[in-house]
Amino acid sequence: MKTLRRRALGTAFAVMATLPAGLGAAPAIAQAQEITLWSHWAAEQPKRQFVEEAVRRFQAANPGVTVRTTWYEKNALYAALRTALRAGQGPDVFYAEPDQVEYVQNNFLLDLSQGINWNNVEPWARQIWTHNGRAYGLPLEAWTVEMYVNTRKLQELGGSVPPSLPHSQGEFLDLVRRARARNVVPISAGVGDRPFPGAFLTHETLLMRLGLQDYGRLLAGEIRWDDPRVVESLRFIRSLVDARAFPPGVATMQLGQSHTYFHTNPGTLFFPMGSWYTSRAFNPSDQGGQPADFPLGVMRVPAPENAACTRCRTIAVGGSYVVNARTRHPDAARAFLDAFATPEMGNLWLQNVMVQTGIKADASRIEGPRAGYFRQLAAANEGSDYFFGIPQQVLQGRARDTFTQVVNNAFISGQVSVDEVVRQMSAAQQAR
Amino acid sequence: MSTTDVAAAAPVRASIPARLALPAERPAWAAIIPFLLPAAVFYVGLTAYPVVRTVWNSVHEVLPAGDIFVGTAHYAELWLDETFWRAVRNTLTWAIAAPLLEVGIALLLALALYAKVPGGRFLRVAWFTPVLMSYVVVGILWTWIYNYDWGAVNVLLRAVGLEDWANPWLGTTGTALPALILVTTWMWTGFNMVVLLAALHSLPSEVIEAAELDRCSWAAKLWHIVIPLVRPTLLNLLVLSCVGKMKIFDLVWIATKGGPLWSTETVSTYTYKRAFEWSTFDLGYPSAIATVWFVIVMAGVGLLTWTLRQRQRLEY
Repeated sequence: MKTLRRRALGTAFAVMATLPAGLGAAPAIAQAQEITLWSHWAAEQPKRQFVEEAVRRFQAANPGVTVRTTWYEKNALYAALRTALRAGQGPDVFYAEPDQVEYVQNNFLLDLSQGINWNNVEPWARQIWTHNGRAYGLPLEAWTVEMYVNTRKLQELGGSVPPSLPHSQGEFLDLVRRARARNVVPISAGVGDRPFPGAFLTHETLLMRLGLQDYGRLLAGEIRWDDPRVVESLRFIRSLVDARAFPPGVATMQLGQSHTYFHTNPGTLFFPMGSWYTSRAFNPSDQGGQPADFPLGVMRVPAPENAACTRCRTIAVGGSYVVNARTRHPDAARAFLDAFATPEMGNLWLQNVMVQTGIKADASRIEGPRAGYFRQLAAANEGSDYFFGIPQQVLQGRARDTFTQVVNNAFISGQVSVDEVVRQMSAAQQAR
Repeated sequence: MSTTDVAAAAPVRASIPARLALPAERPAWAAIIPFLLPAAVFYVGLTAYPVVRTVWNSVHEVLPAGDIFVGTAHYAELWLDETFWRAVRNTLTWAIAAPLLEVGIALLLALALYAKVPGGRFLRVAWFTPVLMSYVVVGILWTWIYNYDWGAVNVLLRAVGLEDWANPWLGTTGTALPALILVTTWMWTGFNMVVLLAALHSLPSEVIEAAELDRCSWAAKLWHIVIPLVRPTLLNLLVLSCVGKMKIFDLVWIATKGGPLWSTETVSTYTYKRAFEWSTFDLGYPSAIATVWFVIVMAGVGLLTWTLRQRQRLEY
């Protein structure tokens, strides 16, 4: 289990840019070459623009080398890669996420330990992509699990965002009940098209109650799901379900709808979500973004009374680029990825995408109307102890499928009891 | 040629001198092969080989580095795989319920059109239209219709004062599978109706007229004359529908991905998950699922075909 401890202000983005931009200094590739890149994010303009800008700069710095990019949606990309890699016809560089350990297990990825300036990459982000001492992926996208809050609604209910510490579970449950009494749905969530958003509160509660080590052991199957601490944590989530904290249609609501459900219609009090929330919410409101005057706040997930670690939270690496082990242009492909690994590119990512990155970047350089949000996010993350990866990225096979069906979906929609969650997860951990 | 004719011709043929006899007829392979070859290549390459290869894969661990023989290990694991058997139950439920609903309703609609209800032309087009849409479009459409907050079904229920009946239809274990069966019924009833309408129009009018002369009631005419005459069509439609539902994937994938709690998991969606979403490149286990299901489907089709033949023999 990859768990690292890091106490730092806004881990994903708070390291100052100390090195000059490396793009111009990238080693020129002598011969004319074409690198093929297959990437997710076909429909995510900010990320796509960022990659296209990186390609443009790389090509300008390396005359004779061209990068031919093919954009996909994630599922189509994964299906295409499975057949292409098997047939030895994969692209030189492609999009992958750290949970896709099968690429490493089947020797499809080139070792990137050399050829990338890892000084410009967050150590924890490199660690997530490290197997047997070798780094295999360049982590572009990183995100934390956050508890977003409508501060105006919170004030109307007599609550406030605690300055640094999280609410207690009792205080949180009280807020949920007060919201329900005023006919406000307390927590927005939608799991209709994603395997993870419904589990955010559950796994963050488990993480705080168990602490980094034991939580990792739970996901590894070394601690049983009928452990009293686990059952206690599940009971808290069940008390939220019983208090009707989640939307009645949570099981079929889609992720995009859950965003709108939080900030616009009908409007909820809380929204546990990945910090990539802003990549949608900061769009203009006619493109699905939150209203311009929306009072967005960031707070911590409520901590159990007897938490082993109140400062624990999850950080995850998402979209990354890897190099095909069978590429005919390994040096050019490495050089291309190295072109991303500069503080300048890290800052460009933050400004364009509004989500953290595994590339070292300096959030304080962000200017404009969103600067305040990033300061707020950094404050919420101050002093955090991070666990790396959400359960869907850590669990494999049947355990992952069961977690998705049971914890992510059926549990928060009130269709299974705590005992049933324990039974199903225990059985899944024992099976293949 | 009858057996008597053959017996009479034999002595005549024996009396012809060998040099005058026509050469024995041989198949003209030079002409036949060019016609058969393209179809045979396609059949072997795209049907026979994949089937054989799938069976081969099912007794191997199929990894990019090479195949490892595992014998019946995948089948033993499959026997104990709770999710697989749940998927089998769901798929069989669908494959039995949907054809009965589709063909039953289609027969009623076809009879309505046959009886020349007002607006028949419009209704025929309207009822047939859903089958022209892809499962993807239909899936998205119905996830909207079933949406808890603003879907048409719940809006309607609230409008008539049945707010307590409003439900996340695709998000509840008890209603998700019936809700999807309803979608395929909506989609395919029109197709069945058109086929049955054609069968009704081809019925011999003298039989119907004779029944009318005998003052046969409408219901008796339907039960004793019309249905027996269109029975072959009905059975063919039932078989086609049943086989289609045994393979169903797209609609489930779009609407529920097999959830909640595997209540809409079908064998096809589970096979896909095991092949492409299980963090492994191994295709052995999904191949075992496909092989077992292939055998079950073939047995089901064989059973239905046998039933159909029995009926035809009785009829003629």
